[in-house]
Amino acid sequence: MDGSDSYLIRPHHQHKFRPAAVKECVREIVRERLSEVRYDPEEVPELTRSLADSIKDKLKNAGFDRYKLVVQVVIGEQRGQGVKMTSRCLWDADSDNYAEDVFMNDSLFCVVAVFGSYYY
Amino acid sequence: MDPNMDDYETEEEPGFVVEDVSKIVKESVEAAIGGNTYQHSRVNQWSTSVVEQCLSQLSKLGKPYKYIVTCIITQKNGAGLQTASAFFWDNTTDGSCAVRWENKSMYCIVSVFGLAI
Repeated sequence: MDGSDSYLIRPHHQHKFRPAAVKECVREIVRERLSEVRYDPEEVPELTRSLADSIKDKLKNAGFDRYKLVVQVVIGEQRGQGVKMTSRCLWDADSDNYAEDVFMNDSLFCVVAVFGSYYY
Repeated sequence: MDPNMDDYETEEEPGFVVEDVSKIVKESVEAAIGGNTYQHSRVNQWSTSVVEQCLSQLSKLGKPYKYIVTCIITQKNGAGLQTASAFFWDNTTDGSCAVRWENKSMYCIVSVFGLAI
């Protein structure tokens, strides 16, 4: 009997979702794409979507086997308003984790949250 | 010899049902911040209570899902806000739902992601 299914219920240490590494990766992409950008209501929807897709694609290839990924990108205009973003998760704290990054420039702010959930 | 096969069919239809989740979210937001005006000092407590209430109602649904709930509360002052999400998951079992709520002084955007176990 060959080619049995693997029934791992915990990720191997090397394949665990590492928030620090993910945060670095996200930071690089965001800074590269947004450093000189000004908030433009026509372009922002497309920009947010494409940023989310690029981050997701980059992380898919980062070696987090058996992890389901959710990437959320929020871009807002800087006008002195108050904003609060919170999240809570119902998951397995041993194997699941998240990473976040906030970027600001004069005209916009961008928050990226990446959640990784192990698929048993 | 008749194999006595147990019926392993679960009673409720598994799956991420967007209407149910959306209803739960709307009720939680209404209950937590319903008639209030934006106050910087209370935003922390409001967003926490929205999210925790959503999560506890979702877990009561009893489905084999892991949930991620995010809530963004922002003051209304004419500024624009855009959110987008990308997922790498199983399209047949996983789903997401986003609810936008507003009153005279603030916007509240809640996103719920359900990942099947």
